[in-house]
Amino acid sequence: MEQLLAFSKGPLFRLTFAVMVLGLARVLILDLLEIFRAYYRAGDKTVPWGQVITRSIEWLVPVRLVFKRRPVYSLFSMLFHVGLLLVPIFLYAHVQLWRDDLGFGIPTLPYAWAYGLTVLTIFAAAALIIGRILNRTSSFLSRKQDYLWPIVLLIPFVTGFVCAHMGVSASAYRFFMLMHVLSAELIFVLIPFTKIAHCVLMPLSQVVANVAWKFPPETDDKVCTTLNKKGAPV
Amino acid sequence: MSLAILTDVTKCIGCLECVAACKKENNLNMDVPREWQKMDGLSARNWTSVLHKPDNHNIRKQCRHCLEPACASACPVGALHTTPEGAVVYDNSKCLGCRYCMMACPYGIPRYDWDESVPYVRKCILCYDRIKEGKQPACTEACPTQATIFGKREDLIKVAHQRIKENPDLYINKVWGEHEIGGTSVLYISDIDLGFLSYQPELGTKALPRTTAPAMNAVPFAFVGMGAVMYGINWVIKRRMNNGQETGKEGNDGTDE
Amino acid sequence: MVQMNRVQAVKTVLWSILGLTAAVGLTRFIFGLGATTNLSDATPWGLWIGFDVLSGVALAAGGFVITALFYVMRREEFHDFVKPAVLTAFLGYIAVVVGLLFDLGLPWNIWHMIIFWNPHSPLFEVGWCVMLYTTVLLLEFSPVPLEEFSRYAKIRTFLMKFRFPLILLGIMLSTLHQSSLGSLFLIMPFKLHPLWYSNILPVQFFVSAVALGFMMVIFESLVSHWLYIKDSETERIAKLGFIAAWVLFVYFLLRIGDIAFSGELGMIFTGTWEANLFIVEMLISVILPFIIFVVPRLRYNRKLQWVGSIMVVFGMVFNRINVGGLTMIRATGDIYLPSWMEIIVSMGVVSGAVLVFMFAIEKFHIWEERPRHPESNPYAPAAFDRSSGAWLGSPLLAASTRYSLAFVFAFAVGFALIPDNKIHSEGMDDIPVTRARGADTLFVDGNLNNFGVAFDHKKHEELTREGQACATCHHMNIPLDKNSGCWECHKKMFTVTDVFNHDWHASAGGAAIACDECHTPGQQRRAESAKNCEDCHRDLRVENTPIEVKAYLAPSYTDALHDICVACHLKKAVELADKPDLGLCPTCHGGETPENRRELYKYGQAARSLKPVVLPQVKKPE
Repeated sequence: MEQLLAFSKGPLFRLTFAVMVLGLARVLILDLLEIFRAYYRAGDKTVPWGQVITRSIEWLVPVRLVFKRRPVYSLFSMLFHVGLLLVPIFLYAHVQLWRDDLGFGIPTLPYAWAYGLTVLTIFAAAALIIGRILNRTSSFLSRKQDYLWPIVLLIPFVTGFVCAHMGVSASAYRFFMLMHVLSAELIFVLIPFTKIAHCVLMPLSQVVANVAWKFPPETDDKVCTTLNKKGAPV
Repeated sequence: MSLAILTDVTKCIGCLECVAACKKENNLNMDVPREWQKMDGLSARNWTSVLHKPDNHNIRKQCRHCLEPACASACPVGALHTTPEGAVVYDNSKCLGCRYCMMACPYGIPRYDWDESVPYVRKCILCYDRIKEGKQPACTEACPTQATIFGKREDLIKVAHQRIKENPDLYINKVWGEHEIGGTSVLYISDIDLGFLSYQPELGTKALPRTTAPAMNAVPFAFVGMGAVMYGINWVIKRRMNNGQETGKEGNDGTDE
Repeated sequence: MVQMNRVQAVKTVLWSILGLTAAVGLTRFIFGLGATTNLSDATPWGLWIGFDVLSGVALAAGGFVITALFYVMRREEFHDFVKPAVLTAFLGYIAVVVGLLFDLGLPWNIWHMIIFWNPHSPLFEVGWCVMLYTTVLLLEFSPVPLEEFSRYAKIRTFLMKFRFPLILLGIMLSTLHQSSLGSLFLIMPFKLHPLWYSNILPVQFFVSAVALGFMMVIFESLVSHWLYIKDSETERIAKLGFIAAWVLFVYFLLRIGDIAFSGELGMIFTGTWEANLFIVEMLISVILPFIIFVVPRLRYNRKLQWVGSIMVVFGMVFNRINVGGLTMIRATGDIYLPSWMEIIVSMGVVSGAVLVFMFAIEKFHIWEERPRHPESNPYAPAAFDRSSGAWLGSPLLAASTRYSLAFVFAFAVGFALIPDNKIHSEGMDDIPVTRARGADTLFVDGNLNNFGVAFDHKKHEELTREGQACATCHHMNIPLDKNSGCWECHKKMFTVTDVFNHDWHASAGGAAIACDECHTPGQQRRAESAKNCEDCHRDLRVENTPIEVKAYLAPSYTDALHDICVACHLKKAVELADKPDLGLCPTCHGGETPENRRELYKYGQAARSLKPVVLPQVKKPE
């Protein structure tokens, strides 16, 4: 187990971390490429950039936009995302690992904050799953992975919480730490290839919508003409 | 004014004072065995060392400061060059890190900062800053037994021969560095053979830059000659083709259009 | 469809190699040459010079020999070889420069050759010629891509006007630097084996480069035609091979003649490994290919064309590597084997060049008939994933999806494989310390290299008796021990030892202590929030010892001993008027007289090797 832990903290971590970082860069570049291609081929080349930017910011900070409709769900979603980003990146123990290896680190979360945010994230994820099941529209649209993802994302949080805040025996600590590292690495590998890739693709979605899914006013007629059904209702 | 160091192997007691003085003078860091070092004590942070040989022979090893240095002639940017005082010094602002000097040195002296991401070539520079001021190098100053002394090269050669003449039973009748590969500014007299200080026991008296000189001198002739030959061949063939095709179609104009 | 699979499979492999190279290259530029290569002070030139530069330049000779044959000698039948050969040469030179950037210690100074001149140096001349020739090749080749863009037609016609002078200049420059690569080694008669060292090394390099140039054109034609499933020009290849065979013959005469001239012909059959290496090299680089391309029946055999050209390509690369370092082992005594990272970078540089070559073949008018390729065809049907049937996007997108995936995964694998111990040790040998031997007089020689100190333990004991006795030096009582010896904690000769074994304390097989038993619950678990060692190990520190224990990291053996001894000696040197030399190195190391030194040696076992001297530049533990 010691060796497995050492391996997963060393080479396996580097492998999965590189897959995540480069994989995200890759999907971003491929997405941009396809956007440019679509833009190049588009008949109408005007893109409402101002609108795209405001919309993107609105979606990034969905206070105004979403709170109107499902305030509780959005609140939990917000909390979940905040915890998901802040805790792994600014956790003292994680930064210390970087510091040991690279010689520099970033400011860290205070102990109490880390504790609180971890608990909050776990509860928010639970609430999100329940909300997804209870809401008819959501559950109709959901795929299996939509239920699975919050659970998978929770594994490192729960195991990390056990390791960091609960005084467990030495052997139990090892086990939970191994689970913590391995589950996090599984997530790293999956991020660029699943819907979690929205962490970098999100800002592009508005551009995609405006470049690729834009129909000029006379589109209806043209389609009908092509289909030999001129004048038929669309 | 060619300055030099004469090391008398019979007088060296292996106290390493010269090594310590060199370290201090040149601000060299502590050294530890690294996997890329040669086992002769020299390294990027040790510019001089003392080899201990059987029967209490201690031989000081350092850059030989050749009169016609192979390293300086090899360096493509002239980062290594000989000063009027005879020291072969290194200008790290010119260096591009090709390490040809390390390949070219017949004594295997220059060392490299392999562990640095901005590495330089390192070797003894005969304490150039000191000898410019008229002082002697740190190592000769530190030597407690006068085993390694500093002075004008001609004087030191005389001293060396004088010592050999006075004590012919002790010394081997040879001043290492007097003629070898064109002469060096670091001379040795010894009671044992010092062939192990270089890659080959006998290096001859021809300076190494002179081995490349014929090839380098031939460069302009090769350049112009090749051009002339090629142009000539082309002219002949073109003419022949035009002659042969005068009655027929027009000759190819040389493009692939 | 088969055709595309072959091209795409090759491209996927090449992109994977590039991914590995990127990971290794990053490490090389961040941590330096020592962390990634097996180069050493004894072997400062390795694979990157022997293969990437020496062989790379020779492999790119096809450009100038084919242009000489076609434009100067007017051998019209070789027309189809010209454009690919010039392209190969151009990419080859770019690859050489990129390979050189990896190898140079200060690659950002590569332009220094332009302003700092040393015309005596063959390398200076090579550098200039490579720069100029690469520019010439760019000008020679640029009409081909410019053909695609009608707005640049004027530039193209302008360049076409200067085609013949450019080609002449290219040939002249090639003559110079192909031969000057040989001149590089003229300065090392003391290193290079006599079977390879020769005064006409430049001429040999030039002639072999000409032969290799022809063979490389053949090889490149065979490979690219195999890749894009096209019939290759067996007949023209045979003709080209025939010319090359006679150049090889000239090269053979030059090699053997030179050896005979210097009277070393007997050396070939002495049976030393260098002699056998020479025989193997001559067989695969000259003799066998000469037979293949001279005998008419063999010459027209497609399979033998493959064999012959591959033999020359490998044989000449072998020759360059032999001259570039392999046969110097006898003189340097250092056996160099390239590390896997060096090999990966060399492969990556070639892969990059091949990818650009394939791109150019697909995009530009290099062959009479362009290879049909779905990636370059905007109207090709979209690709679908075979297993899921999912739409993969346009053919270009589908292809780039695949290649980028290969790149990403290969990069990750390379990143994971980087040996972190090699980077963190900074090349420091991890030498375990052996305890001092002896009784009243100890021979302190932790790494057993016989260069140590004869330490009169009894005398020092008596000297300090009035004070704290043992505690003066022995400052720790490690568990189950009292006044522990130096080597118990300072376990490594030159590197720091972690004395507190956290893993052991926390493991079930060790002390099996739960986290909260040491670390205060409700706080960050760090060293500061944990109990002190002395909370459990009551008498860890020796009482009244003047030595302060500050951290859980024990300094290296040499640092620790120098720290204790030198500090005290310096103090005593001032106090005791009759012993002013107490603070000097020879007092302990070596002593003033030859007899004293011999005394030192008496204690040692057989000398293993002479290691560098470590001087008492006392480093304080952090």
